[in-house]
Amino acid sequence: MTEKLGKIADGLLSGNVEEVSNLTQELLDDGTDPEEILQKGLFAGMDVVSQKFKDCEMFIPEVLRSAKAMQGAMEKLRPKLSEASSSKAGTVVTATVQGDLHDIGKNLAGMMMEGSGFNVIDMGIDRKTEDIVNAVKENKPQILGLSALLTTTMPKMGEVINALKEAGIRDQVKVMIGGAPVTDDFAEEIGADAYAPNASIGTEKALELIKA
Amino acid sequence: MPKINQTIQETPYFRVLSEDQIERIYSAALDVIQRTGARFYHEEALELFRNSEAVVTDENLVRVPLSLVEKAIKTHPRKINLTGRSGKHGIKLDRDTVNFGTGSDLPFTYDRQTGERRRTTYQDVYDAGRILDYLPNLDFFMSHGIVQDCPNTQTYDRHQCLAMLEGCTKPMVLTSVDGEGLQDLWRMCSLFRGNEKEYRLNPMFITYIEPISPLMNDRSAVEKLLFSAEKGIPCMYTPCPSSGATAPASLAGMIVQSLAETLMASVLTYLKNPGMPLVMGGVTTVLDMLTTTYSYGSPELSLASAANTDVSKWLGLPMFSTGGCTDSKTLDEQAAIESATSLYYAFLSGANLVHDVGYMDSGVNASLESLVMNNEIIGMVKQIGKGINTEEEYLALELIDQIGPGGEFLTSEHTLVHYKEWFQPKLQDRSDYATWVREGQHTMADRIQSETDRILKEHEPEPIDKELHQELKKIVQDADERHAK
Ligand code: B12
Repeated sequence: MTEKLGKIADGLLSGNVEEVSNLTQELLDDGTDPEEILQKGLFAGMDVVSQKFKDCEMFIPEVLRSAKAMQGAMEKLRPKLSEASSSKAGTVVTATVQGDLHDIGKNLAGMMMEGSGFNVIDMGIDRKTEDIVNAVKENKPQILGLSALLTTTMPKMGEVINALKEAGIRDQVKVMIGGAPVTDDFAEEIGADAYAPNASIGTEKALELIKA
Repeated sequence: MPKINQTIQETPYFRVLSEDQIERIYSAALDVIQRTGARFYHEEALELFRNSEAVVTDENLVRVPLSLVEKAIKTHPRKINLTGRSGKHGIKLDRDTVNFGTGSDLPFTYDRQTGERRRTTYQDVYDAGRILDYLPNLDFFMSHGIVQDCPNTQTYDRHQCLAMLEGCTKPMVLTSVDGEGLQDLWRMCSLFRGNEKEYRLNPMFITYIEPISPLMNDRSAVEKLLFSAEKGIPCMYTPCPSSGATAPASLAGMIVQSLAETLMASVLTYLKNPGMPLVMGGVTTVLDMLTTTYSYGSPELSLASAANTDVSKWLGLPMFSTGGCTDSKTLDEQAAIESATSLYYAFLSGANLVHDVGYMDSGVNASLESLVMNNEIIGMVKQIGKGINTEEEYLALELIDQIGPGGEFLTSEHTLVHYKEWFQPKLQDRSDYATWVREGQHTMADRIQSETDRILKEHEPEPIDKELHQELKKIVQDADERHAK
């Protein structure tokens, strides 16, 4: 079993989607505790991936391949995890706000979070405030990730936060924002819970937010 | 006796793609258009396509037969002339004439007092205009920054255009919020020419429009394209793909996809009203795979842009290219290296509009000093473009003989005439060490800063006629009122 867990970690590192998925299934079939697969296999592997990324030994395309493998395994694992544990690697809803069509950054941030075990539901670009609020009501994510790359659409992020308040669900979700013209100050101004200047910091902050 | 069979290379000659390679790229782009197609999120555009030989499926996916593409691409003028508001500054966009200019819409500006970055204001755009109006090696003006201290984000483009017109008398490239915004900008500029038809003969700006790579055309971009076609406004449809993220990681693939996007715009505007002056464009660069930055300093940007320029010349379209920009956060060695490299290649490639001069922090921060630094670099680059003259006067055979072995050239008439053809740096220091120490050990950064101070203090652009200024303001105010909530 320990051997298979080690192989999962290696498989993640080399981004072998099929192998990681198969090993996860085998371990589940063997009756291994899903929590152990998550911690000692998947998280252990992804920890190495993020360290290697920080050390400039792995680059985005490799990291995303690992993230894909992680996501494949999580699909198998998620239904088997207990309530407490699956909320640890929780759900994130992401959207680019209304009037804004930039999505590369938001997509990258989402993929990186998937790599850390989050279940990411992406709403796409140019999303109306009320649609975003409805998606929060519906999916009950722990985190809402908003993206805006234009000074002209940035205010929409504040609008979303106000709308969450009006809907009485502001305290049920943490809001993280990002995009080129966004700053820490702006995040504070509109009452967001976090600002992420890039995807990897976004993932770090997401993990902190769900612990808090 | 005059010689026969001579080829004189007046200037350096540079190209990235051979004729055969261009054929391959063009042919591949045609395949993309016919096979993959592009999406258009605009009802009138879809109607125009439906009523043509094009095929619209899946609601908004448009595929176009080659015959139609080939018809459309031939209808755009081969050249465009632009003149600034006062008529003093003009540029030509014809084959291998290179003009340099700024980029637009930078959300932040380095404050000249504190050195900190802060949000860009009306005054910043006006000041950038004044700097640009002054700098001799910069030929056209994009806003550099984006005006954020205006009443409504939906009308920022009108305020920005006013700041640009007040600050600068050179031709412009303008960004706009949507079709309505473009119409206001066009009305503002037309005022300087009297009427619409006169304006068409003597346009002041090119409108900047972008598809969304890969192969998407959003509502407001299409609105602007259709309005430009209707009014014959010179227009660029400039893809901003990031290789590896929104385009293939192979440069050729990115170029093919970008060309397909441009050709789609050609077809659409042809169906609307043939003959719109179309400029080919493309900020074709890589997504940095460590930082996730859309890189403005990568060598791939220069290489792919030069290749695009080769394609544009083959198609007979003017080209909008990129140079003088950097990923660096300060005006440091990195900024200088990246700016110089991209300027040099964009110049050699023969692109007609080299924009984004002065862009810092990957298209996020504006700095007036960066404009002043780049002006110096462009001076050097243009000097290299002069090439080597090999006529008799320049071979200087007589002179060499006259001076003879062991003589000197310093006091000859020939020197007095020809040294003036050299590049004389304005900001670079070539003095000896002792002099440099005695004069205060100033760095390039110090000299750039004091030159920027001096220009801002001394240079006033030619004012706009008072009545006309009122009319311009009226258009801006009306827009604000229409958009007031
Ligand atoms: C590529 C690009 C485009 C592409 C976008 C394609 C796409 N599919 O996204 C196209 C060509 C469509 C485009 C269009 C426009 N653009 Co644009 N664009 C850019 C550019 C050059 C790069 C953006 C990018 O992809 N970066 C790479 C990604 C990976 O980085 P990122 O988006 O910043 O995301 C990272 C972080 O910010 C953070 N992050 C971002 N979002 C989120 C969300 C969460 C939850 C988290 C955790 C993190 C996070 O993590 C990401 C990954 O590390 C920027 C310049 C810049 N440096 O930002 C201009 C820029 C944003 N665009 C600009 C402009 C002006 C426009 C246009 C208005 C141009 C025009 N006049 O037509 C249109 C607007 C269209 C619209 N309505 O949205 C301006 C913005 C000015 C302003 N108003 O503030 C910029 C700054 C360039 C400039 N100076 O002109 N653009």
